[in-house]
Amino acid sequence: MATESSESEEEGKIRGGNDKLIIEDDLREMSKNAAWSVSSCKPGNGVTTLRDDNLETYWQSDGLQPHLINIQFQKKVKLQLVVLYVDFKLDESYTPSKISIRAGDGFHNLKEIKSVELVKPTGWVCLSLSGTDPRETFVNTFMLQIAILSNHLNGRDTHIRQIKVYGPRPNPIPRQPFQFTSMEFLTYSTLR
Amino acid sequence: MENLLANCVEKNLSQFMFTNAIFFCERLLAEFPSEVNLQLLARCYLSNSQAYSAYYILKGSKTPQSRYLFAFSCFKLDLLGEAETALLPSEDYVDEVPGGAAGHYLLGLVYRYAGRKNSSIEQFRMALSFDPLCWEAYRELCSLGAAEEASTVFGNSAFQRLQETFVTQRINFSEGANIDQLTDSDKASRDTSLWRTEHVPGENQQDPKIRQLGADIPPDTDRQLNTNGWDLNTPSPVISQVLDAPPPLLHKNMLRSAVEGSLMSVHGGRRIKFSEEMSAEATEGSGRRRSARIAARKKIPMSQSFGKDSYRLHLSPSESNCVPSPSSMIEKCRIQSSKEATTSGQSISDIGSSVDDEENKNPSESSPDSSSLISGISEVLNLLKILGNGHRHLLMYNCQEALLVYQKLSLKQYNTHWVLVQVGKAYFELQDYFNADSTFTLAHQKYPYALEGMDTYSTVLYHLKEEMRLGYLAQELISVDRLSPESWCAVGNCYSLRKDHDSALKMFQRAIQLNERFTYAHTLCGHEFAALEDFEGAERCYRRALSIDTRHYNAWYGLGMTYLHLEKFEFAQHQFQLALKINPRSSIIMCYYGIALHESKKNDEALNMMEKARLTDAKNPLPKYYKANILASLGDYHKAQKVLEELKECAPQESSVHALLGNIYKQLKLYDKAVLHFGTALDLNPSPSDAVKIKAYMERLVIPDELAMEENL
Repeated sequence: MATESSESEEEGKIRGGNDKLIIEDDLREMSKNAAWSVSSCKPGNGVTTLRDDNLETYWQSDGLQPHLINIQFQKKVKLQLVVLYVDFKLDESYTPSKISIRAGDGFHNLKEIKSVELVKPTGWVCLSLSGTDPRETFVNTFMLQIAILSNHLNGRDTHIRQIKVYGPRPNPIPRQPFQFTSMEFLTYSTLR
Repeated sequence: MENLLANCVEKNLSQFMFTNAIFFCERLLAEFPSEVNLQLLARCYLSNSQAYSAYYILKGSKTPQSRYLFAFSCFKLDLLGEAETALLPSEDYVDEVPGGAAGHYLLGLVYRYAGRKNSSIEQFRMALSFDPLCWEAYRELCSLGAAEEASTVFGNSAFQRLQETFVTQRINFSEGANIDQLTDSDKASRDTSLWRTEHVPGENQQDPKIRQLGADIPPDTDRQLNTNGWDLNTPSPVISQVLDAPPPLLHKNMLRSAVEGSLMSVHGGRRIKFSEEMSAEATEGSGRRRSARIAARKKIPMSQSFGKDSYRLHLSPSESNCVPSPSSMIEKCRIQSSKEATTSGQSISDIGSSVDDEENKNPSESSPDSSSLISGISEVLNLLKILGNGHRHLLMYNCQEALLVYQKLSLKQYNTHWVLVQVGKAYFELQDYFNADSTFTLAHQKYPYALEGMDTYSTVLYHLKEEMRLGYLAQELISVDRLSPESWCAVGNCYSLRKDHDSALKMFQRAIQLNERFTYAHTLCGHEFAALEDFEGAERCYRRALSIDTRHYNAWYGLGMTYLHLEKFEFAQHQFQLALKINPRSSIIMCYYGIALHESKKNDEALNMMEKARLTDAKNPLPKYYKANILASLGDYHKAQKVLEELKECAPQESSVHALLGNIYKQLKLYDKAVLHFGTALDLNPSPSDAVKIKAYMERLVIPDELAMEENL
């Protein structure tokens, strides 16, 4: 799993955040293959700011809560990690507080798979989608929805500066049931 | 004044003061407009990397030398059509390609860049027939897959040719130079006999080519006097690329002629000095040129030199005083040498010492010369035979043979950069990455400035997963030369090893920017796109690589893999087939071909292919694994189990083997064994997604057991 900052005793609360984003090797970003949309936005702070790798630009919602970010894939994908960059110091009352992550086949059958509460986050916040069961390391889904249920200091609208979604790396060798682990096999497995 | 200016220009060229040379050459041309001066100005421009200027001033020139320079400028400006017409004005006059071997080589390159493979092969062959020492032409033929046996190319006919070339030169000097003189003025505008390679065995001085030797004498022979000395030695770096083409023979020619010329006592000491320079230059230059790669269009100094010693020929003085001939030779040497990539300074000092010797020497007989000449020629040709053979084998991917051939070299020659890189590549193609690593490391340590082949070295380190060393290598290469594509390829490989495919892609694209025709950079780009799952981008890159070099089998392999990912199995088959045609001994390609066949439901062929792969390379464990996979998917679990049990003995640490075995035992209803193997598989650190899968399989195994138990109860 990606490193998480200190987690408080109460389940589902995350304090602080990381300055640097460190992701394990066996994960890769899935966002490129997805269609992103948001429930509402202020002109100039639209959905592209979530994906522009620029922490200065942010998405600002412009409507009623819950604010929604929808990520839709063309086929079912395995997802393991959602990472947000939010900063209480910069955004104060715009900083999200309660977040619910839902997954499903489409808008009609989304089900909540994770719920967290952020407490004054200041950087990259990693939300793992794995369940407790080792079989549930990934979520296999068509669509992911990140819902901002409430903000700090009861703000109405929210700012999010960047979002990344991670899943496992596919087998570099197509059409094989398992990936190779030993040096010997890996050496002979590809040409470069 | 003309002499003075010309002298000045040559001197500047030799000392790399190009802008000064251009300035004076413009004055010269203004005062004394002539073809020769125009060519001199063109040379100045080309030396200063101003191919466009040379192009404009030479446009429309008809003299062979001008045509050659013009064609070269066109080539540099990527105006392939114009280059072709300059070199080959009409279909009938194939013999009159200016520049002899160099001209043919340039024309061959033009055709190759334009994609006209057969014409280019023909031109390279002609270049070699004119001048057997046109090594680059042979290399191009090898890379096009159309090279003949090295022993034929560098065999008896080559020997004859070289012998004739030199003998004729000497005879020409010693005899009827007077006749030459007469014909000089008439032939002033004829082709530069500079490139004497096209000469015909002709003791006959009436031979037009030989006449041209004299023909080159500019009307003002006095000028020649003054142009001795410094001028000859330093070729401009730009033009040196051209001269990479002119085989070392030219140098030898010049050497001989210089030697001959120096004997002409007419012009005294200065000329001798100059000719000595020539000889020193020639040998060094030839060695270096030999290893420079024209295709990369880079001037990479190589420390290799061959057969130089045999060329330290004595001066065979000539009895007669032939004014024209020596001067023509000198002029010839002048122009030729100016195109060599040698350092004048060094040679001058060499010359300084040798000059004194030479001046004191008595003109020796011609026979010791001819015997040393013959032995020299045969030495060089033998060396070329070995190297040519090895190179050809390597590019046909007969790597074992190539290695054997290279072993035959003397230790001195073997430890040169070029040869070490070849050996390293041979090991690389055999997937023997450890040996490749040690060879390349040696090459890099000995010659840290030589970048050719370092991209392959970085790939070797990539395969060995040596992150640290790859990082070091990349840093070192970049510090040596930030503008060489190999350095950026190494950097890209470094990022790719760390799975940062976006950055890796950027690095490879930089390499491409530096050299559009660097095939491997395109292929690596393709690999990165594939890793990023951008298969369209990958396909584009691979096809670009293939458009540059159809025999780059890595790109065919890449295309095949892309189609496998896209599930276009028929296409994938086709690509792998093509790759196999080029490199029939790659067990990896065979494995993938087999996978593609299996996915297209041609299971028997698939199994045969896996068998073939297994036989080709016994060290490769994968054919067995894939075979077992295919058998399992066909339902033949017993066979699959047998194969995998064998494999397990060879590779006990491989998680996927155990996982697959687990599955097979499950199908065979041997649940205990299945659980055992699944457990082992999990212990061996599979990837997270695999771990999930295996755990899921294990869970499902338990349930049938429980059901059975419940039934019993």
